[in-house]
Amino acid sequence: MQITFWGVRGSYPVPGAATVRYGGQTSCVEARSASGETVIVDAGTGLRALGNKLLRAATAPGHYHILLSHVHWDHIQGLPFFSPVYVAGTRISIYGLLTAADELHQVIGGITRHEFFPMALESVPAQFEFHEVNPGIEFEVGSFRVMPIALNHPFGSVGYRLDCDGTAWAYISDTAPFDQVLHKQHFLKGPEPLSQVDRSALSVMREALIQKLAGVDTVVYDTHFTPDEYERFPHYGHSTPDQALEVCVAAKVRRLVLYHHAPSHSDEQMDRIAAEYLAKGALVGIEVLTSFEGMTLPIGAATDAGAKPVDRPPGGAGAGGREEAGKGPS
Amino acid sequence: MKIRFWGTRGSFAMSGREFLRYGGNTTSVELVNAAGQRLLIDLGTGATELGKQLMAGEFGKGQGTLPILLSHTHLDHIQGLPFFTPFFIKGNQIRILGAAPSMTSLESTLQNQLAPHYSPLNGLENLAAGVSIDTITPGETITLPGFEVRTAAVPHGSMWTTAFRITADGKTVTYLSDVEYASVDEPLEVAVELARDADLLIHDAMHADHDYDLRRGWGHSPARAGVIVAERAGAKKLALFHHSPDATDEMIDEVVARTAARTSVPVFAAAEGEYLEI
Ligand SMILES: [Zn+2]
Ligand SMILES: [Zn+2]
Ligand SMILES: [Zn+2]
Repeated sequence: MQITFWGVRGSYPVPGAATVRYGGQTSCVEARSASGETVIVDAGTGLRALGNKLLRAATAPGHYHILLSHVHWDHIQGLPFFSPVYVAGTRISIYGLLTAADELHQVIGGITRHEFFPMALESVPAQFEFHEVNPGIEFEVGSFRVMPIALNHPFGSVGYRLDCDGTAWAYISDTAPFDQVLHKQHFLKGPEPLSQVDRSALSVMREALIQKLAGVDTVVYDTHFTPDEYERFPHYGHSTPDQALEVCVAAKVRRLVLYHHAPSHSDEQMDRIAAEYLAKGALVGIEVLTSFEGMTLPIGAATDAGAKPVDRPPGGAGAGGREEAGKGPS
Repeated sequence: MKIRFWGTRGSFAMSGREFLRYGGNTTSVELVNAAGQRLLIDLGTGATELGKQLMAGEFGKGQGTLPILLSHTHLDHIQGLPFFTPFFIKGNQIRILGAAPSMTSLESTLQNQLAPHYSPLNGLENLAAGVSIDTITPGETITLPGFEVRTAAVPHGSMWTTAFRITADGKTVTYLSDVEYASVDEPLEVAVELARDADLLIHDAMHADHDYDLRRGWGHSPARAGVIVAERAGAKKLALFHHSPDATDEMIDEVVARTAARTSVPVFAAAEGEYLEI
């Protein structure tokens, strides 16, 4: 199994000279099994380039599986730009956290209401299917075993552990740490005092996360903030690399990948973060990598020493050539 | 009057080295008059950078006022709203003006964008600044501090967008983005009138002329549509705008060269960057 990063940014896409190396597109990771099966995690703006690649490689209309951590814009905005959506015969299965799969359908359909987008999902050629996921209840997608894990984020979010080919990786984004703030179903102006019930909810969540991460080779983790940014915005629902490292040490994972970079972090700042946490990880025996658009990692195997955020070839993540114009009303 | 393009891209924000000169951010255009009063058109991702820079002035102190005109509410024109920092400072007064999308109101559309499943902001009421939403009726003329704005509805696929003719300091800028005429050679009279003798016409140029046949009916114009409007209207300068996400800097260079070769109206492609004097 291997994973490829198509969007590594949090919140909103950030074009420009300051992000050319790490990339400006939002959350999207592709997992590929040894036999070539694909599962996509999150449908942020990185999904557009991935869709163009998958469509180029396809010989017939495909069946695509997309696991959603939650439905904040930065995790779903690429969906209307996923070119297979405009190919008749395509099936798209979407998995997400919501009280009812019906509601998930409405929420996803809602991003293509006529006010927001020229073509409604109901009227595109592809056929959509919606599946509700529940933390702790494992399911299968082809030869991937998928375990949803509850995370601490405004209005809820889930991480996923994916097992395949005798190895495993996990996608833990978006999440706040499990000590200062408990995210619930309401807007937080700032941190709210924690009740005893809140504290125990947080520690249950943390314990379940650590337990589910046991034996995982690689963990991709929401490390949006530097520690001083976190101090200013502890109620925004995101973590720091230190907090991610602490969870990974407890779960004894081999490798941590920093992910969901703040839109304000320039390539130079990301270089500094990458170097700092590579060193910090080494002290506790964890390999810490910093994700960039186009990065491919073999799971359960050593990192390719050449994996650096260099100038990417024209065409975006891993495309290795000019992107073709996508289909549909882009 | 000065103008600055903060986002020139249509549909989808493009990051990467091939999009650096014209910029990858979605649409947002700032106008500043001689008195220093400001007006913003559209809130694509380009608005986020402007928002940060505004924080150095009165907006950082909660004393800023800003009118924002929305051409329509397709995502590439409002994507930057939840990340426009002046919204988070108490005391700032921000007025959003736009036409109601068909079958719903402007306010409920923006509320929907910030609905709890889509955004942790969970609604306009959680923006700390004073935000007012004013529905305009295309065709009306609006007077804003330092600017006069004439509006008109123009066709955009199966819907309508609002085009603007903005006058300040005796200069006029016309914004005709996200528009497709039934016939490129016969642009709507109302569009031509809005651009009449404008000092700058900003026009939708999503498609290269040779690509247009494949994309007819999707609500956007080929580059030559702006030329025809500019020539008929006697506009003094034409900015090609709302670049396709597939158009690299080199491709846009080519479109500009070909477009400039067919008209005596000075033509350039809108690019993120510095303030331009009108
Ligand atoms: Zn996010
Ligand atoms: Zn989120
Ligand atoms: Zn547009």
